[in-house]
Amino acid sequence: MGVKDFYQKHHYKLFWIPIILILISLISLGIGYLTNGEIIQRDVSLKGGISANLITNQNIDIKELEEFLSSKLDAEVSVRSLVEFTTREQSGLIIETSSLDSERLREALKDKIDFEDDKISIEEVGPSLGVAFFKQMITALLVAFLLMAIVVFVMFRSVAPSLAVVLAAFGDMIVTLAILRLIGFELSITSIAGFLLVIGYSIDTDMLLTSRVLKRRGEGSVMDRIFGAFKTGITMTLTTLVALIVAYFITNSSVLKGIFTIIIVALIVDLFMTWLMNTSILIMYCKKKGIL
Amino acid sequence: MKIKRLFTIRVWILIALMLLAVIAIAPKFNTNGVEINFVERNSQASQNGLQVGEIIKEINKRQVNDVAEYSRLIREASFVEPKEVEVKTTKGVYIYEVLEDIGFTLDNLTIVNKGNITKAEGSIISINGKNITSNNFNNILFEALPYKTLNIKTDRNNYAFLVNKELEISVDNVERTNIRKGLDLKGGTRVLLKPITDEEISDNQIMDLIKVLNNRLNIYGLSDVKIRPADVGDDKLVVVEIARTDIQGIKELIEEQGKFEAKIKNTTVFVGGEKDITFVCREDGTCSGIRQCGKQNDVDFCSFEFLITLSGNAAKKHAEATKDLEINLSAGGTEGYLSETLDFYVDDELVDSLNIGASLRGQEATQIIISGSGSGADREEANADALANMDKLQTILITGSLPFKIEIVSLNVISPVLGDNFVKTSIYVGLFAILAVGLVIFIRYRILKIVIPMIFIMLSELLLILGVSAIIKSNLDLAAIAGIIASIGTGVDDQIVITDEVITGQETVYNWKERLKKAFFIIMAAYAATFAAMIPLLTTGAGLLRGFAVVTIIGISIGVFITRPVFASLIENLLKKE
Repeated sequence: MGVKDFYQKHHYKLFWIPIILILISLISLGIGYLTNGEIIQRDVSLKGGISANLITNQNIDIKELEEFLSSKLDAEVSVRSLVEFTTREQSGLIIETSSLDSERLREALKDKIDFEDDKISIEEVGPSLGVAFFKQMITALLVAFLLMAIVVFVMFRSVAPSLAVVLAAFGDMIVTLAILRLIGFELSITSIAGFLLVIGYSIDTDMLLTSRVLKRRGEGSVMDRIFGAFKTGITMTLTTLVALIVAYFITNSSVLKGIFTIIIVALIVDLFMTWLMNTSILIMYCKKKGIL
Repeated sequence: MKIKRLFTIRVWILIALMLLAVIAIAPKFNTNGVEINFVERNSQASQNGLQVGEIIKEINKRQVNDVAEYSRLIREASFVEPKEVEVKTTKGVYIYEVLEDIGFTLDNLTIVNKGNITKAEGSIISINGKNITSNNFNNILFEALPYKTLNIKTDRNNYAFLVNKELEISVDNVERTNIRKGLDLKGGTRVLLKPITDEEISDNQIMDLIKVLNNRLNIYGLSDVKIRPADVGDDKLVVVEIARTDIQGIKELIEEQGKFEAKIKNTTVFVGGEKDITFVCREDGTCSGIRQCGKQNDVDFCSFEFLITLSGNAAKKHAEATKDLEINLSAGGTEGYLSETLDFYVDDELVDSLNIGASLRGQEATQIIISGSGSGADREEANADALANMDKLQTILITGSLPFKIEIVSLNVISPVLGDNFVKTSIYVGLFAILAVGLVIFIRYRILKIVIPMIFIMLSELLLILGVSAIIKSNLDLAAIAGIIASIGTGVDDQIVITDEVITGQETVYNWKERLKKAFFIIMAAYAATFAAMIPLLTTGAGLLRGFAVVTIIGISIGVFITRPVFASLIENLLKKE
């Protein structure tokens, strides 16, 4: 079989693709940290400010509204429009600002747009609280990662394959973060939900692969077992990917869109991490240990 | 293949659990009406007995199904045309249009407190030709104003009363299931508070704060208020959630420490709270209400008064503080006031001063009139402002002050309309995601015998998750919806693993029962890791992600312990070669 032979021969080269991806991502995140002081953009829930969500189909010049609100609030304001999935028409506006006066924002909006009070959501977060949330989020993520690593080590009880799984999950996170940064995604407090799920989805396929290769000796060659795991794993990833992409386009909630974006990106990255990096490490490991 | 063979004991257990879940969710298909969640005090609604929690079924014999319909019907039902009145006074005859009120009040038949709608002045003689005496004014006024009968049928009562403006209540859709929607799906206000103090705050102090806040919001007339402590980093915060979005001045009401002090010179006579104040008169026109309105420098103002009763201890302090004061005789010379005033401070700011009658010098006064005022661009505004101020003052007098100063660090007002939208599209999201999964599975295996059980299992997981959330009263919010989708997604992954094990097991000589056990080992390990990862989220971010964590834990647990074994049993029996 062509693919299997190719793998067998070139796995050492394939291994470097994800490694280079991880390195580029680390550098890009590092540059971000050095220039802006943060590895990824945060939204108001994690840095403080106001985010308002207004239901209106009134036609609005976004640039003009931004300038008007900026001058009224004496702070930077960004306005985006929300588009209804089915009709492709504007259904609302999202307004974000570093100002902390939601009453004034509401009044300023009323100068330009007619709306009733129950058509607007306003989230106001103090900067110190946002930073505290961000720290908690990082801690929760680290704890989850550590727990995952422990489970993996307990399961396989051998260092190299376990490290490969943990490294794949780590790479998945890092590259996902770098891509999110690149596409201008803003991290919010609910993003933590996305990242925690990513840990789960990420190790799913890695554990499947590792257990098939190491715990099923005798059911065909190592490459046969890898190929079997690949067929199962790719089905798993594809079903989730398709379901989430569909969900992403249907939902009108920015919270859900954010969580779905994170998982979609991470699932695609995970294909590289699992089937190039983890697989290559396993092949090397099997060769070294003489596992057939 | 025999259908009967599919129904193993595991399948029957799942079906039974699904039925239980439906009962727990308890969908009600025939509930119409809207639930009252707020009744403005001293309003036409409250005076006629409408109460929070009643479900309005009909307005003027027309059925009310939802909030939108209610708004339309109530506006129609209470819309009144302005009506012309003829007011005759000693100064002339005035003809003008009236709506909610006649535009003035009387003091011994003399027109006072004039608003903008009339120029009438002098002593009143008649309204619409009916002579006014000191005790028939209210009745004649009632006839002169454009009142309309409003019929309201609720689940408890039938009401019929006269109104001349929109009913001052707010309503919400009746919950159609036992599933609790989180704030971002049903709309409401969420406030995060932080103590401002250099000292270490103990958990007990936080509980005290919560008690006072709870009292304060309840007395202010807000129902369905949830207050809980939350730690964020080293900070002890308090989260307040209220199921309404239209609360004017919520920031002030909560943030105000509400330290009330009544002082004479610099001596504190009494403070807010039940220790010094045993009774506060409210909602009783004879001892509480707006007493006077006027105009000064183009600003309208109204003053209010209400009576309170002091405890014996506070009364003694009053006697002590007044006994050495001098008496300033007023211009007339008979009745006089003491040389110092009784000053009211809220959070160290002077809000009003009262003259103390000379007769009270050195007396243990137990009954004290508290006063204050409100202002506005016109009389109506001034009146409303004064009422709001009175409400706030009464509230802090009853509940006392917060144990320490607090600041609002986050204020989140969520539109109920937006939340409704989210719920509707989330249902589509779920259905289309399940269909998409079915499609991919079909493309991969080309066997309906695999696709159908998978979709059945996904739907049963959805039902069971919702059922358990209803039973444990966990709030479903947007993040929780993501959790449901994710845990069902994990379920699908596991089912694919099981299916592949069974299929390859069929093709090879290996014992596939043994292999299934191995597949479950992977599943259990992944389960343990995800479960553990969710635990920190129960408190992280002031508990805002608790819904997500709880639902995900429920979802993966149901998957591992209930639906996965059922799927394995179904797929074994479906794919088993005869």
